[in-house]
Amino acid sequence: MARFANGKAPFLRTSDAKNSGTGVIMRDFMIGLLPVILFAWYKNGIKVFIEGNITFLEMLYPLIFILLGGILSTLFEGLYFYITDKNVRSFKALGQKLKVSYAVIPGLLLAMVVPLYTPIWVLMFGAFMGTIVGKMLFGGFGNNIFNPALLGYIAIGFTMLGVIGNAGGVFNASEVLIDAYGGATPLGTLAGTKVIDYDTLVAPYGSLWNFLLGTIPGALAETGSLAIIIAYIWLSVRKVIKWFTPLVYIGTVFILSWFIGMAAGDAGIWFPVYSILSGGLMFGAVFMATEPVTTPRNPLGKVVFALFLGALTVLFRYIGNLPEGVGTAIIVMNIFTLPIDKMTAIIRAQGIKKSTIVSALGLAAFLLILMVYAIIKAGNVYSTFITFVPFIKGVF
Amino acid sequence: MILRKAKGIHIDGRKQMSKESPLHEHLNPQFVYIPLIQQTSALKRTVEVGDDILIGQVVALREGFGAMPIHASVSGKVSAIKKVWHCSGKMVDAIEIKNDMLQRMDASIQPEADTTHFTREELIEKMKQAGLSGLGGAGFPTYVKYQTKLPIDVVIINAVECEPYLTCDYMLINAYPEKLLKGLHYFMRAANANRGVVCFKSYNKHIKEALQPLLVNYPGIELKEIKDIYPAGWEKYIVQQVTGKTYEGLPAEAGVIVDNSATAMVYADVVEKNIPLISRVITITGEGVKNPRNYYVPFGTPVKELIQLSGGYTDGLVPEKAWYIAGGPMTGRAILIDDLIVSDTLGAVIVKPMPEDKAHPECLGCGKCADVCPVFLTPTEIRRAYETKDVDLIKKLNAQKCMSCGLCSYVCPSHIEITDFVGKAKDLLRKGA
Repeated sequence: MARFANGKAPFLRTSDAKNSGTGVIMRDFMIGLLPVILFAWYKNGIKVFIEGNITFLEMLYPLIFILLGGILSTLFEGLYFYITDKNVRSFKALGQKLKVSYAVIPGLLLAMVVPLYTPIWVLMFGAFMGTIVGKMLFGGFGNNIFNPALLGYIAIGFTMLGVIGNAGGVFNASEVLIDAYGGATPLGTLAGTKVIDYDTLVAPYGSLWNFLLGTIPGALAETGSLAIIIAYIWLSVRKVIKWFTPLVYIGTVFILSWFIGMAAGDAGIWFPVYSILSGGLMFGAVFMATEPVTTPRNPLGKVVFALFLGALTVLFRYIGNLPEGVGTAIIVMNIFTLPIDKMTAIIRAQGIKKSTIVSALGLAAFLLILMVYAIIKAGNVYSTFITFVPFIKGVF
Repeated sequence: MILRKAKGIHIDGRKQMSKESPLHEHLNPQFVYIPLIQQTSALKRTVEVGDDILIGQVVALREGFGAMPIHASVSGKVSAIKKVWHCSGKMVDAIEIKNDMLQRMDASIQPEADTTHFTREELIEKMKQAGLSGLGGAGFPTYVKYQTKLPIDVVIINAVECEPYLTCDYMLINAYPEKLLKGLHYFMRAANANRGVVCFKSYNKHIKEALQPLLVNYPGIELKEIKDIYPAGWEKYIVQQVTGKTYEGLPAEAGVIVDNSATAMVYADVVEKNIPLISRVITITGEGVKNPRNYYVPFGTPVKELIQLSGGYTDGLVPEKAWYIAGGPMTGRAILIDDLIVSDTLGAVIVKPMPEDKAHPECLGCGKCADVCPVFLTPTEIRRAYETKDVDLIKKLNAQKCMSCGLCSYVCPSHIEITDFVGKAKDLLRKGA
């Protein structure tokens, strides 16, 4: 008679295989970041170096800066573990712990969405806010409510704008030291001029092709739409992210922007295309709106989440005073992840029933109102020939 | 609706290892142990220690719902009443019968010259008297299904066997293909149905080749290939594939009765030879067994003997670091002591070394468990509701619909016992309601 081990069904797990499990998901996520990081390096370093504007060391700086972000957040998290947990004070234990909490990612992402000439200590502050406040104080990996990288970004955005400006970087704008990209970002221009006009918004940066390639002013890595699309395809194929979340998000912004363009008197397709290719939308949609911990878990929830993100992004972008709405929209929606998850899980489990249809319709109505409000309001703000629903103008 | 589309997933079958050796008969173990339990009902013993026993003699009765007799599987003497490990994971009382190796049959076991005159009621009564229960794993008394008042259009034979490792149904059909069609034919008569469908996995070409030429003699019976996914053997899935209909409680609501292929084959013997349900095929397999194969054995045979016949455990197997699984790897149960006996619901014993331990992170919320759930649950939410003991929410999240297929734990990249959490939530619901 032999005594065997206890266990729980199922006795087959995909995570037991060598090349699977959360570790592999995270590895694939990092590989997805690679084209975007390389593009950021090319745009902010190599290209400028070839043009002869900077030294060799300065050429390496973008790469170093991004890696530094990752190192900083890892250090902060390691320090946090070291201080709070007596059991993880050896190198080995610490390494084990950091390995399954993916400490490097928030810092990497943060460094990619800030301007190149952000002072290191500001980056440090952002990494601290993201990792310690945004992640560890909530209970660490898997328990955080806000996207750590975005929380760091928002913290910097609200407190350090002037500091970054003084250091030569314009927050979410071009790196003024680099001549080729002098001037404001496309969205900055929009926020400044309040005019929807191809000649003001697109022409100064060349054509929309430049928007796709990413050779326009903007934060370190977020302009490289093409690189991000490559990353999107990779991440979707590897099933790291759900393919439809970014599509629904970007699609919503596309359609709403088109309507806003129409409301403002320009129905050209260039405006929605311009809208989705500028700012942090692509980057946010692919890397942050899909971040598993802080976004809904079931497919229906993801779609609802992405629809709301689209509406909020448009609202923040075109109506608020911020040049950029993606980060704020995602942070705001992070708060609603739990209720959305709960609500959509019930709807999904029960199917179409009297009890679920009420909540589904309520949700849809709220979303619709939000979207219509965004269109009317923004349409009026940007309207050059006040033709669109004139009687509403002034009411909202 | 795209958001409620369950696709099932392909799982590596690992079936080849137990298919290589032909079906092996092991009809005369020294002792058999007839467990005094059927499903979750305790049985009433009708024999005493010292009694002389014939094959097919009634030794116990299931009472109440699903009442039916249970029969002896060998001839000999009742030598003791002993505790044995049952595949439900519990120790239960069992009737120990010392086999006299004479295979003396009970008088009731004799061939029927003509089976064409049996009426529907007689056919159903035969199921009951034979103690026929589902051999697929649930052990539900078959006659109860056929007593339905609802009109039945189709009888479906489930030969899908979607659990990995298991080949017992496949090997039995391969050995006696015609018996399956006979059993289905009688099932159709017992249900008053004109249509019979045999469902099997698309890659099991042998089944198709063996059954196709025989179909001419069995009007109304057809074959249906089912995709190689898990859980394709789920009753609701099969009914949906065959008829396009769905139902809430029992398949009879959709005019369907589903039976396992092995049950149908036993039923052929029940009708034609009056042999009650006393034996089955069991797969002994896994990476921890030297020569995995299938055995045709009387109920009550100790599994230990079968493992010895298979050459024992592989050299170097450390039992403390291996699982001894009763049933399939997806829904089976870990048995701690290798002292199991064969009973109606035990289709396989899998001995499998445990995978290497590695550090697993927290739930990262990837949602893969919700994606694969065949009944559209969101296991992470159910876990959350369970942890806050919110019975009302568990109910709203439809946790009771979970059929414990195990897919959520199977796909979880963080190795979370999510199936188990949902199971606990269901228990909480049962207690709370």
